[in-house]
This record gives sequence, C-alpha cells and structure tokens, in this order.
Amino acid sequence: MKNYKNKIFILIGLAAVILVSCRKHETFPVQDVTIQYVFDPRDSAGANALNFLLNVYSVVPYGHNRVNPDYLDAASDDAVSSGQGTEVSILSTGTYNSITLPSYENLWSNTNSTNTANCWNGIRYANEFINNIGVVPVKGFYNGIGTRYIWRNEARFLRAYFYFELLKRFGGIPLIGNQVFNINNNLNIPRSSFSDCVNYIVSECTSMQDSLITIPLANPASDNYRATKGAALALKAKVLLYAASPLFNDPTGSNTNPLTGYTNYDATRWATAAAAAQAVINLGGYSLDPVYTNVFATQNDPEIIFVRTANEGTPGYSIETDNAPVGYPAAIGNGQTSPTQDLVNAFPMSNGLPITNAASGYDPSNPYNNRDPRLNFNILHNGSPWLSTSLQTYEGGESKPDNGQQQTLTGYYMNKFMGNDAIGSTFAGHDEDWVVFRYADILLDYAEATNESSGTPGVTVYAQLEALRSRAGIAAGSNGTYGLTPNMTQAQMRVAIQNERRIEMPFEEQRYFDIRRWKIADSVMNAPRMGVSITNSNGALTYNYVQVLATKFIAPKMYLYPIPYTEVVANSSMKQNPGW
Amino acid sequence: MRKLILLFHIIILTLPAALYAQSGTQKTIAGTVKDVDGVLPGATVIEKGIPANGTITNSAGKFRLTLKGKSNTIIVKFVGDITQEIVVAGKTNIDVNMATNAHGLDEVAVVGFGKTTRITSTGAVSSINAAEIREVPTANVQNTLAGRLPGFFSQQSSGQPGKDASDFFIRGVSSLNPNGNQPLIIVDDIEYTYDQLQQINVNEIETISILKDASTTAIYGIKGANGVLVVTTRRGKTGAPKINFRTEAGLQSNTITPVFLNAYQSAVLVDQAEANDNIGSPNPQKLTFTQTDLNLFQSGADPYGHPNVDWYNEIVNKYAYQTNANLDISGGTDRVKYFISGGALDQNGDLKYFPDPTGVLNNNYYFTRYDFRSNLDLKANNTLDLRLDVTTRFSDINQPLSGSSAIGSLYDFTQETPFTAPVLNPNGTFAYAYSSFNPSHLPTLNARLASGGNENSRRTDYNVLFNAAQKLDAITPGLTATARVAYASTEQYTAQNTPSSSAIPSYHFNAANNTYTLNPNGAYVFPPYEETGQTDIYTNDVNVQLFANYDRTFGSLNHVTGLLLLNQDAATTYANSAIILAPTQVGVPSKYRGISLRGGYDFAGKYLFDINAAYNGTDRFAPGHQFGIFPAMSLGYNMNKENYFKNLFPFFGLFKVRGSYGVVGSDAAPGNQYVYTQNYVQGGSAYSFGQNPTPYSTYSEGSLANNNVVWERQKELDFGIDMNLLKDNKLTATIDYFHNIRYDQLITPASVSEILGVGLPAVNLGKTQNQGIDGQIGYHSNIGKVQFNTSFVFSYAKNKILYEDEPQPAYPWLAQTGHSIGQPFGYHFLGYYTPADVATINKYEAAHGGSNIGDQAVAVPDNGEVIQPGDLKYADLNHDGIVNVDDERAIGYPNLPNTVLGLNLQAAYKGFSISVLFQGSFNYSFIVTGTGIEPFQSQFQPIMEQAWTPQNAANAEFPRLTQNPTTVNSPTFYPSDYWLINAYYIRLKTLELRYVVPSKYLPFHLSSGSIYLSSYNLFTWDNYHKYQQDPEISTNTVGDAYINQRVVNLGVQVGF
Repeated sequence: MKNYKNKIFILIGLAAVILVSCRKHETFPVQDVTIQYVFDPRDSAGANALNFLLNVYSVVPYGHNRVNPDYLDAASDDAVSSGQGTEVSILSTGTYNSITLPSYENLWSNTNSTNTANCWNGIRYANEFINNIGVVPVKGFYNGIGTRYIWRNEARFLRAYFYFELLKRFGGIPLIGNQVFNINNNLNIPRSSFSDCVNYIVSECTSMQDSLITIPLANPASDNYRATKGAALALKAKVLLYAASPLFNDPTGSNTNPLTGYTNYDATRWATAAAAAQAVINLGGYSLDPVYTNVFATQNDPEIIFVRTANEGTPGYSIETDNAPVGYPAAIGNGQTSPTQDLVNAFPMSNGLPITNAASGYDPSNPYNNRDPRLNFNILHNGSPWLSTSLQTYEGGESKPDNGQQQTLTGYYMNKFMGNDAIGSTFAGHDEDWVVFRYADILLDYAEATNESSGTPGVTVYAQLEALRSRAGIAAGSNGTYGLTPNMTQAQMRVAIQNERRIEMPFEEQRYFDIRRWKIADSVMNAPRMGVSITNSNGALTYNYVQVLATKFIAPKMYLYPIPYTEVVANSSMKQNPGW
Repeated sequence: MRKLILLFHIIILTLPAALYAQSGTQKTIAGTVKDVDGVLPGATVIEKGIPANGTITNSAGKFRLTLKGKSNTIIVKFVGDITQEIVVAGKTNIDVNMATNAHGLDEVAVVGFGKTTRITSTGAVSSINAAEIREVPTANVQNTLAGRLPGFFSQQSSGQPGKDASDFFIRGVSSLNPNGNQPLIIVDDIEYTYDQLQQINVNEIETISILKDASTTAIYGIKGANGVLVVTTRRGKTGAPKINFRTEAGLQSNTITPVFLNAYQSAVLVDQAEANDNIGSPNPQKLTFTQTDLNLFQSGADPYGHPNVDWYNEIVNKYAYQTNANLDISGGTDRVKYFISGGALDQNGDLKYFPDPTGVLNNNYYFTRYDFRSNLDLKANNTLDLRLDVTTRFSDINQPLSGSSAIGSLYDFTQETPFTAPVLNPNGTFAYAYSSFNPSHLPTLNARLASGGNENSRRTDYNVLFNAAQKLDAITPGLTATARVAYASTEQYTAQNTPSSSAIPSYHFNAANNTYTLNPNGAYVFPPYEETGQTDIYTNDVNVQLFANYDRTFGSLNHVTGLLLLNQDAATTYANSAIILAPTQVGVPSKYRGISLRGGYDFAGKYLFDINAAYNGTDRFAPGHQFGIFPAMSLGYNMNKENYFKNLFPFFGLFKVRGSYGVVGSDAAPGNQYVYTQNYVQGGSAYSFGQNPTPYSTYSEGSLANNNVVWERQKELDFGIDMNLLKDNKLTATIDYFHNIRYDQLITPASVSEILGVGLPAVNLGKTQNQGIDGQIGYHSNIGKVQFNTSFVFSYAKNKILYEDEPQPAYPWLAQTGHSIGQPFGYHFLGYYTPADVATINKYEAAHGGSNIGDQAVAVPDNGEVIQPGDLKYADLNHDGIVNVDDERAIGYPNLPNTVLGLNLQAAYKGFSISVLFQGSFNYSFIVTGTGIEPFQSQFQPIMEQAWTPQNAANAEFPRLTQNPTTVNSPTFYPSDYWLINAYYIRLKTLELRYVVPSKYLPFHLSSGSIYLSSYNLFTWDNYHKYQQDPEISTNTVGDAYINQRVVNLGVQVGF
C-alpha cells in the first residue's frame, strides 16, 4: 500500500515537472509589433514612426486605373469603359444605390487596397500619428521647427485631404478631431454641416501651412513627395473653390439642408476662393512646364504641387497594358479606356477656335488635322502614331478588329500617362505617379473664381487661359488671345473656362467632380455618349458618329453619393443624403 | 500543482472501501470458446455478479474459472462478438460458441478515454466496427462513413488521387465561424488533424465512433462542441501468430462523363449567339461561321482547317488503375501482444498519359501511400501494463501543373473549343488554339499537359505513443492509473517543376498551302524545367495525459465508474515558406491544457447516471480568459428491466430512454488565433519619399484587439431511445433528438460605424440553433440458411441563425438572420422576357427619360444592358422597376445536405455474402457558374441547344445565347433560383460480393481465404439535368473539380 502511494507521488511529481517544463516557449508571436515600438521614445531617428507616417500617405487615393480597372473619368462624359459590367459603368449609368455604390468609389467604407482608400482609415491613422509622434525625439529642425512637428503637420495635411475627398462625394461628414476610437466608444456621431467641414479643413490648412517644408526643397533627395506648404495652400484653394461652386453655394439660395451645402448664397465665397488660389500663385516656385507631356513623366516637375507616389504593384505600373490599343501582339494592350467623341470635339483647332466655328478650318473628312496638340497628347485616334505604326481604329482595323475581344467602344484610345510609345515596338511597365495638385489646376481655379467674383472677366482671367493654351502649343493668333473670343461676358467666359479645364485635365479625376459642382451633370450625363465608327473603303475613310452608351444621371440626388447603407444602420445619428 | 495533488488524493481516498461477501460453494468450470473462424484466444470469461472474478482464454481458446458466487452464470465477452451469458448450473465443462456481432448494435462503443455499451450508455454515440468498411475501395476513411453513422454528414468535392477526402461534420454545422465546425478527431485518445486522418490506412482501424452529445463530448471541454470522431486501432490478441494478407486491384472511372457539343453544333450556336447580339446593335457584326464552314464541320472533310475534336475523350481515360495491398501479423502471449501491419496503396489519375517531350519527369496524376503500424502490449507484471504504438505513413501526390484542374481546362471554352485545333498536326507537332474565341493562342491541352511540368507533394507522418497503466487494486479495487505520452510529427514538401517559359513549340497547320506557322507565343524548343513554389511544412505535437480510472461494483447492484484526467498538448507548425502561413500561425506552439472528470453510477443496470466535466483552456485567449468549465450530465433508464414493463411489453429485449444536457466549447478563432493581441502590421514597400525613391516599408495598425475574446459555447440537449425487440433482438433501433444552441460565436461585428476607421476583431456575438433527429433501425434474421441483416440510418440536422450582428436590412427578405448558415440568396425566376415585355419596357423608358425606375409592369436589371426577349426575368421584390441586390431573397438550401439517409443490406449464405449500401443526401442546393455553364466560357453543352429562340420560346430550357458575359443571364452576376438546383442524390455507395473459401478447400495450410468484388459510387441517381457535374459539388464553383471516382475492385484475402 505504501509503495503504491509512493509511486503515485512519483508519477504526480513527474507530471508536475512535465507540466511546468512546458512553459519555456513563447506563448504568443513575438514578431508582433506594439505601439511602443512604432512610437519609440528612445528612437531619435524616428524610423518606425516615419514608416507609420508613410502608411498614412499611402491612403491617398491613387488615381491610375483606380476604379477597378478604369479611370474615374470613364464615369464622366469624357470616356466610357471598354469593359463590360465595370464599376464605372454602374456610376455612369446611374444604377447604384446606398447598398450598391461601387466599392472602388466608396471611399467611406470599402477596404483599403493599392488602388483605393478608406478615408476613415486614413483619418484614424493620421490621428494616431498626431497623438503619438510627440513622444518620439526625432532629431533635426527645419526652419527652426522640430522634425517631429513637421511630420505631425504632414499628418494633419493628409487628414484634411481625406476629409476633402469625403466632402466632395458625400457633403458634410462627421468631424472627429484628434480622437482615436476604440470599440467601446460611442460611435453614433452625427454629420457636421457642410459649412463646418469647409471651415475645419481651411483652418487646419491655415494653421499648418507655415510648419511644413517649402519649395525649393532643401533636400530633394530625401524629401521629394512630402507634403509642402504649397500642397496645403492648394488644398485650401481647392476646398474653397468647391465651397463657392453652385452645388454647395446654391445661387438660388433655396438649399435648406446644412449637410449638403450652404443654406445661404454668398457670392463673396468666389472671392475667397480666388484669393486662396492667388496665394498658391504668390508662393512662387511653381510654373507651367513648357512641355505638357512632361508633367506626367518628370519627377520634380515645376508644375507639380502634390503627388501620390507610385510604387511597384500599384495599378499605375500597368497603365500601358491596361489602356494601350489592342491589336499589337508584341505589346499587349487592353484598351480599357475609350475616350468619347464629346471629349474629342471639345478640343479646338490649333488656332484655338472651336471646331464649331466656321472660321476654325475644321475639316470633317480629316477631323484630327490641325487640332489643339493636347488632343494628340491625351487621345489616340485613327492614324495616330503608335509603336512605329499608324493606329487603325476603323472597323476591322488592327486596333478595332470587332472580333469579340475587348476593344475601344468609341474608336479612340487614351494616350495620356503613357510613356513615349509612338516609337519603338513594345513598352514596359513603369511606375507612374498620380498628380494630385498641379499648377495648371490652380491657374484654372484662379481664373474660374476670379471670373465668378469679378462680374466681367478681366485680363487676369484671360491671362491664365492664354498661358495654358500657349504652353499647349496653340497659336497666339493675330490678336494674341490664342483663339479666345475677346471681351467675353462672364457667362461666355464660364463656358470657356469649363471647356479649358476639360481639355487641359482629362483623366485626372477632375471632370467627374467638376460637372457635379457646376451642377451641369444633369444635362451632360443624360445626353448620349458618342463614339466614331470609321469605315475604310480602300483607304477612303468615312466617319459616322454613333451612340456607344446611354449614360444616366438622376438629379438632384446623384449630385452627392448616398451615405453607405451599412453606415446609416450602424450609426443611429447618421442622416442619409436627400433622395437616397 | 499542489491543488491538483490534493484533489487527486481526495478523490482516491473518499471513494468507499470495497466490501463484498464471499459465500456459496466454490465450483470450477472449464471450457473452450470458439467462433466461426475457430478457437478464440483472449476472450474474457467473468462470473456474473463478481466482476473481479474472471479469466482470459489461452492460445487454444481454453479457460478455467472457479465460481465464487451464487449466480451459476458466466459472461463471455470478445471484442466484435455478442456477449453471452451462460448458465452453468450442473456443468463443469462447456463449449461456448460466440456469434459475430454483424449488426453492430450491442458491441462496445469507444468513447473518450473509455468504452461504453449500448445497454449502459447514457449519451449519443454511434459506432461501427471497421471490419465493415475495410474493403471499401477508397483511400480515405471518412469517405466510407456517410450513410453508416447516424449524425454523420459529409461532402466529397474532389476525386483527385490523394486529395479526395470528404469534408465531414457531426450533426451538421452550428458555427458562423467557417473554421469552427470541424469535429475533433481522436485516434487512440490522441488528437489528429484532418490531414492526419486522411493518411490512416483503414486496415489498421478497429472501431470508429462519433460522439454527438454533451455527455460524451464534455470530457473534451473546449474542443468538444463540434462532436468527436473517435478511432481506435487494432491490437494483438493472445494466440499463435495470425498472418493476414489482402491484395486488391481496381478500376476507377469518372462518376459522370460530361458531353459537349461537337464542332458543328457549337459553331451553329456561336452564330446563333452572335445573331442575337446583333439585334438592335448599332454595328451588327458578321457571323463568325459561314454556311461553308458549317458544312465542313459537319462533313469532316477538312480535319485541319475545320477540326472537330472531342477533347474530353482525347484527354480523359475511361479507366484508371488502382491497387492496394495490406499485410498484418498479430498474436501474442500472456506477456506480449502485437499487431503489426503494413499497407501500400497506389492510385492513378483519370488522364491519358501525355509524356513529357523532354522525357525528364512524370506529369500525370498519381497517389501512392505506404503505411506501417506496430502496436505492442506488454504485461510488465501482474499490475503494470505497458503499450508502445509506432506508426509511420509516407505519401506522394503528383499532379500535372498545367491547368492543375485538367477538367476545368476541358470545360473552358476560352482555352480550346472543338473547332480550335487538331489534337496533333499531320507532322506530329503540337497545335495551338487558332480561333478568335481563344485570343491567348494556348497550345492544345495535350501539349500543355505534356510540357507543363508537375506539382509533387511528399509527406511523412510519424506517430509514437507510449502508455503505462498501473492497476492500483491495492489502494482500492478497480482503480487504475495511466500515464501516456504521444508524439506526432508530419513533414510535407511540395514543389513544382515549372517550365522556365510558357513558350513551347506549337504550330498552326494550313492545309491549303501545307505550311506550318509557329505560335506567336511559341518557341522552337521546349524550355528546361525549374523548381518553384517550394514549401516545406513541419508540424509536431506532444500530448501528455495522466489519468485514473475507477470501475467497481458494490454489492452486485451498485456499479460505480470514475475518471480523472490531466491532459496537455502543444502543437507547433514550422513552415519553410513565406506565403503559405501567416507569421502569427507559424512557430509558436498552440497549447491546450485541462482536467476532465467523469463519474458514473448505475443501479442494477436499470438506473444510469453519468456526470462529465472538463476544466480546460488554450493559449489562444488572453490570460484570465483561457480556462472554462464545461459540465454535462446524463440519465438513462432501462425500462425493460422493470417487471411492469416486462409484463406489458415482453417482446422488448431492451427499452432504454436517456437524456443528456451540458455545455461544451469550441476554441477555433477565425483567422489570427491571437485575437487578443494588438499588432502593428508591417507592410512591404508601400510608399516612398525622395528623388530616387527606395520604397520604405510601412507600419499600420492591424485589426483592433479583443482582450475579452473567449471560446464559443454550445448548450446541447439530447433525448434518445434504444430498443431491441423480438426474439434474439432481431429488431433494434436507436433514435436521438437533439437541440443545440451555439452562442458566444466569434464573428466580426457588422453593425459598427466605419468612423472607427480600423478593422474589427472577432467578438463573441453570434448565436445559432441546430436541431434534428438521427438514428438507426436494424433488422437481422435468417430464412433457412440465408442470414440477412438490414439497417437504415437517418440523419437530419437543421440550423438557424439567431443572431449575427447583421445590419438592419433594407428589406425584410434580405435578412440572413433566421435562415440557415450558408443560405444562398438570389433572384427569383419568373420566366423569360417576352417580346411584349420588351415593348412594355421600351414604352415606359421612352416616357420616363430612358429610366425604367418605377415601372410596375416589368422590371429590368440595373446593369445598364438592354433587355432582349429570351433573357431571364426576375421578380422585382420591392417594385421599383429595377432588379438589383435589393431583390435578392433566400433561395433553396445551403450547400451541405440537411438530410442524409443510408440503407445497408447484407445477406450471407454459407460462404457467400453480399453487402450493399445505398446512401442518399437530400435538401441541399448548388449553382455552377463560369466555365461550368455560361456560354462562351463553358464549352457548348447539350442543354444550350434548348436555348430560347423565338421559335422554341415555349420549350426553352436555357436563356437566350449571348456573347456578353455580364447579362442578367449570367449565374455569376445574377445568382437565381433559375440556376440554383435544389438537389438530392442517391448513390449505390458500396457493393461488396464475397466468397469465403471453406477451410477444407484451402491449399498451403492457409487458415482462411476469401475473394471479393467491391465497388464504390457504382450508380448515382440525381434529380437535375442542368449541369453535368457530380452531385457532391460545392456551390458557386465553376465546376472544374476533379470528378469523383467510381471504383470497381477485385480483392483476395488469405490468412496463415
């Protein structure tokens, strides 16, 4: 009996040894990184904190083929998608609701990926950075300001930018300040008014603008691509321009919903916007690049104010394969973006006169001759030089074979952002930055705001458009107006500026929002989308203009996106936009 | 630890001391125990009422027992045979003939850390003797269980050699967490993974049980909620060495043979689709095929310019060969018993062999497996039993790399078509897809299979188990203490031999001018191979168990059992690969530890009472939230032992009612097992600054941590009846009703505002209900000398989501809550759009600015495409004139059947026997998409000839053909009950014919010999003709799985 007891004790003892000895291994993955490591109070280089900041930067939407796999402009009147059932076609045919808002344009609640962003993620990350960077003793000063404060202000800029991306899509959104929520917080946060959101973004820009790095960059080797004072001023100008535009600053003064815009009309908002654009111009350091195509191909171009950089694997790497013309076996292109006839028609002749002007010299049987050079910079048409050949987009031609595979719907392909592919026999993928703000944009903002605020377009308004046209290669003409009609009224000038924006900045995510803020989307998007069908009869080309898509825009509700349905049900304080 | 020791002591010391009276006259009985095979060594002979007085038959099957009590009855037991009670009054020498327990109802069922019988069990256990399934010609044990075990649900979605194991569930599924429904698998009391179970050779298995209710699974506590599959392996029995050899050869063939239209028929439909698309198009296109083309396809006069190839028959073999051989040796003495077994299995794939043109590697499907097991039992002394089990398994799976699913390539219209290319060019070179429908100009499938390389996966499993059981009758009779250490490891190395370039020699032959043109993506020579995608995964698992068993009868009526178990397990995975497993899943041991307790009491075998509890936990949860208590209790009442019942219902041999209730857990966390830790995720090269930017890595905040995360819990209620009726218990029945509530399920909250700005962790929120009924009814009898045996197995389990934190749906029909887990949602088919419908739409749109919104008469889809007659028309549930996601509602059933039936018929006459199992699955649904059914993605299938045209509008069985892949007719974009099949199938799952050669005819001193013909999946009846797919298919797939196999197998067994 006693022996057995001893044996039991020995067994139990052994068991205890086994059980205890198993505790030596780690019990959770030690590779896990904690917040103390990211914001390390001993790290004077701030390496990990900088990496966290880079992640905030990476949330900035990257526009190339962003709306999987299209450019957002394919949902405007400038282009259509060559693909079937694409997200942009849901946008352009107006067949979405609060549940089916296409995910790549749903910056409110989609999941972050390389080509799309969840702005609420960005705002949270920025707030985490703003709240925590203070403990990291990053060495160095810039203009007497500690590096960590420069970094903090970059995060504030990015946060303001994310708010702007939400604001232009949804109207007023909840402003959450510096809060970083956890799951136990009350997240039933109501939307702030449109006016408060504009004021918040503007005041943030104003307060941070002097504590950012400035151009010319002291150390471009390491600081290129960071947000600068110019970027903050450009953001402010942009927000104020949107705030002054008819969509939000309703000239009839009939808006009563503070979430969707101002409830009063105030014409002086245009002057404020003009002054903000003027501030960017006055900053100096930026200028138009004499070569239009360099803007998208050159680093540190004098025209660039803020870019979202490319990195390997972003969709920009495959701009050519996605969008280049089909029919080249050595250089496979998918022709995803089909620019419309409407856009082609918007380009004037090289003398600056619109093609509808009888004096312009437009020849309907040679429609691409002697046009504004920006037509060729932006669009490939039948006969364009491409890979050392002449592009064939007539029916049955190499690049419009009509054999069932994807090809242009409109008879045009996009040329913008491509490398110099008119020569050579193939192309390689390359990292292409996405230009967020550029100087030409600011000049157009300035011209528009000045025209609206001054009543009669003065010489400064003309000067901006002339600068752009001159750079584009339009002849100055005998009167030196680059084809612009002298002494236009405010309304005539408004049309001229709107057209100039369209032809200067196609595929840059401008037109889609411009037609909304000008409140012309109703008429523009309910018109038929046209393309060209060219028949080649032994070299004799006949141009027929055909409808390629019936786009649809339901006014007024589609001027703003619906708040995603899941948000409205998850947040009891969330008010839906009207009509949705 | 001190507490543990104390607890252990208390339990031992407080058990009542043993007392029983010795009285009556002593009498010695001797005898021999036999069964049909001859004498039975190792049978247990016990005096009734005095369990301690027993003996075991020797190698000649003889025993001698001195009776001490008054019962004058002995009980003879042998595993697999019916236990007999024999009155020995007036006899001193007796021959006992044991009958094999063929109907599997009275036998001992293995439960966790013990055994139970049909008479004394209070829980829901189903079990089978593995001898029943040993000859089923499939490599995986779980493929043999459907229809045999009540409560067992399975679905075999691939027939690929080495990868054809079924997914299985016990009593259906309860968890919303997709990883949270896998049953626990226990082999010889050690936890196995799914992968390890697949590797086991059925020849090594003795019994298989499934534990279904709380009273049987509570002992596993935190891992018990999904039910437990318990396997025991065979062990040696006292006696001379028995050598048993079995060899089989079989033919496998696909259960279905898809039929595709030939070149002519396909070309006609291509033209039909193009003509459809030209209607109303601003640019009508020329039809691809002219009448001349069609004539040439039909006549076959131009086999190279207008080929007509039946690719399925060119690529797929009608039959593939498989062989299986097993050799086992068992026997033993009083001191040492052994069971040693080896097996070899070789399965070939269903493709014809297309030899690698460079002649360096085998690129066909195959699977080979070698198993070895040695189970040793040693009696160190009269009270100490030692046991050492060693198992190793080696397997080798090979598959062609090019189109890892060759079946998928055969279905895929964009890869090749019947009119794409000849099989080979006249000069013997490979051809390539030469048609506008195959823009990527792939070489033909035979060329790609030949030169595409292979993927090879080699795996080694190694298990060793050491067990020491010490009888502690000296402390108190009936007490045994056991210590057990088990180690399991696996290593799997997978690599692909990839051609270094996809450019291979393939040519287009132009018959008109007898020229060959190289594929634009081709090369003149075959590229060499390079090894890519190497992954090397090692796992190891150490399990330590210490337990004390107690089993004693007081006074002959009060039977007490007890178990106290300490169990600890650490499993680690190492992966020599960056892509397969997340870093958080690799390298850190996943640990489990607990104490379990079981107590049982029965009075006179009449009133049965069991209590089970586990206190255990895992390191998946934060300290403080790791351990939980999982209790269960169960009661049984053998009413047939009551006199009043016997008088009323004398034909009942057993009538037992039982019930159990308890709470068990499931510790599977979705995704990251460390939900409680907050991680900052390092992202690679996401952003960069500088003039020559070198991408920096980034840090971002990972999903929020949930410090309070715990296991899922399930309340399980079970009522059961066990019955034996009629003479010799000819009719037996077991029926169980269960009702389970799974709560605290780990799901990611859906109704949290996005303003939070970060991913959410899994939170213990979900709640589901699962209830059903399962059971088995058996009847055995004989007509003259023909013995027959029937059993009917039924399983029904239906679950319902009670809460899943679903956002308030826009319309009530969109709600998932209240439906089953995995409920498909889609559109409701109303019919085909008629020309009148289209006119109505056009009229409405013309009057409403081109918009159909608000059209109450006919709704249109919101994809921006123009509706044509013959398109599928779906119900507009919210009457807004638009068919969109707001109009999707629950359609059909989930993919996992909720009803499984099995009918097993056996008959034997002298040496001949036949055994048939019909298995049926009911109430499930699936949709096939893409290359499985959609025109211009799938090959043209016969049903497409019934497509809607104005002429056959009344008889259409398929929507209007179109080249546009995104129309309302696409099951990918518009899942609907038009495409969803509410399916059932009935399979002749196994059929076995056997002849046991009488021993007098056996040559060479063989002790036994038999010859048998067995089959698997021989016939299938199903209820659909829309898809050409095996009925066991996952939903929303493109139907490219390796087709399940039908096997016909001939085997010979001899024993020495």
